[in-house]
Amino acid sequence: MATAVVARPVARPQARARDEEVLVWPDLVFVEFISALLFTVTLFFLSAVMNAPLLDQANADVTPNPSKAPWYLLNLQELLLHMNAAMAGIIIPTVWLIILGAFPYFDRDNDGQGVWFGTEGAVKLTIVSAIIGFVGTWLLIFWDSGKIAAWLNDYFAVSGGDTFRFLENVRALQQQLPWPDWSREITYLPFNLRILDGTGTSGPTAFQNLDFPGWLVEQAIPIAVIVGLPCLMIYAMWRLGWIVTRRDALLALFSGFVASYGVLTLVGTAFRGQGQDLVFPWDLKVSEGIPGQE
Amino acid sequence: MAVETPAKPSLADKIYDKMFHNYVWKSIFRTGYPNTPRNQMLVVATNVFLHLHPTRIHRTHVKITHTYCLGGLSFFMFLGLTVTGILLMFYYVPSVERAYLDMQNITTTVQFGQLMRNMHRWMAHAMVILVFLHMMRVFYTGAYKAPREFNWVVGVILLVLTFLLSFTGYLLPWDQLAFWAITVGTNIAGSAPVLGPKTRFWLLGGFEVGPDSLIRFYTLHVIGLPLLAAIFMAVHFWRIRRDGGLARPL
Repeated sequence: MATAVVARPVARPQARARDEEVLVWPDLVFVEFISALLFTVTLFFLSAVMNAPLLDQANADVTPNPSKAPWYLLNLQELLLHMNAAMAGIIIPTVWLIILGAFPYFDRDNDGQGVWFGTEGAVKLTIVSAIIGFVGTWLLIFWDSGKIAAWLNDYFAVSGGDTFRFLENVRALQQQLPWPDWSREITYLPFNLRILDGTGTSGPTAFQNLDFPGWLVEQAIPIAVIVGLPCLMIYAMWRLGWIVTRRDALLALFSGFVASYGVLTLVGTAFRGQGQDLVFPWDLKVSEGIPGQE
Repeated sequence: MAVETPAKPSLADKIYDKMFHNYVWKSIFRTGYPNTPRNQMLVVATNVFLHLHPTRIHRTHVKITHTYCLGGLSFFMFLGLTVTGILLMFYYVPSVERAYLDMQNITTTVQFGQLMRNMHRWMAHAMVILVFLHMMRVFYTGAYKAPREFNWVVGVILLVLTFLLSFTGYLLPWDQLAFWAITVGTNIAGSAPVLGPKTRFWLLGGFEVGPDSLIRFYTLHVIGLPLLAAIFMAVHFWRIRRDGGLARPL
């Protein structure tokens, strides 16, 4: 029955404003041509003056220190230093990509479309949340490297002594607190659950016992920080009246992400030296792992 | 009675006429020289490469600061990488015995080999950066909003494919940088819950980076992932047109 078809508010392409249009040839094609030409020339020039790296032949017996992933994965490698490997390497990026893909389904308002920072207060939100993401990520990295505790001690002679040593970084919570033995092995399954056998490196994969301090430090605290701090920022901005629409919330979230992602990539690339220690870029040396030449 | 005779065509006119108004030329390019609005629209609509574009476009969208050409440049990098990649494939054999030697040959004995390799490398980095910046542009101009929701999702998939394309290419030089970067990278993949070890094994064709990993990465890098990326790019570009071109204010 034709009347049963209900018109849903599905967004359709906008009507064209023909009097506002220009011809693609030449107005657009030439812009594209010039930018392609500029990039070709720049890349030719770059390739002429700078060679792609080629080190010694691959050798499984010689491990360079530090060993690093390609630069665009160093953000994940940096996260890996602070938490459980599965979370840093797989779960967080996967969940984030899903959230990223879901942006348009969350923010369905068409306000501010097609213009840079088209909504009210967009520039302010972008700048402030980017600064928060930038500073926050650096502070967390400093704290977890133990540098903050070291600086407080070296420059201000402030030291918590052994009493507060557990606050030095996230690992210290696991190592410096007097956890009872039972908490390190809480049986939560009456049987030994085998997920995947024969994976080669570590034999049968089994889940039966929970190491509570380990779980707290490797999973609970990192996830609380990564989910909690952005939520806290968005909540605070909402209470301040800066965030009103869903677009505003996404602006804050995305800008914070870009800044934080940038810092993680930068730290992973330029600030991680031997043993993944936090060093200045000019102190960064790679040992090729050849005995006698380290 | 004075009769006005038209001026005789100059030599340049004659050459022009011979070149562009002959049977063969007209069989290739059906439209005339694009110096009238009609021909300018026809040249875009009837050319297989240019017909990705509409014939006319809103005036705000040709401003360079609106898009900075980031999406187009990402695609341009993909094309450049294909060209330089094919040239490198002539000289490169993905076996543990030959890969590194071939790299040395490319950089020392092959004419323009070093240049081709450099171009391929820097273009790959540029593509990762450009794709990311393109995503930022789309986000900050609110261009992911209706009716372009799905195209944003396709874009996120293309971002992942770009990372994977670059990652699989990283192993191919078979030097220390490649070997250990892939070892670290695949260890990250291997840490996934439940499926991690299997994924790592499947990627590497073994428990560690070796001959089987090289051929797998090579195959993915030169045909598997580019094909997949091309399919998603086709959808991406098609949807731009179907969704009404670039986003503009309501």
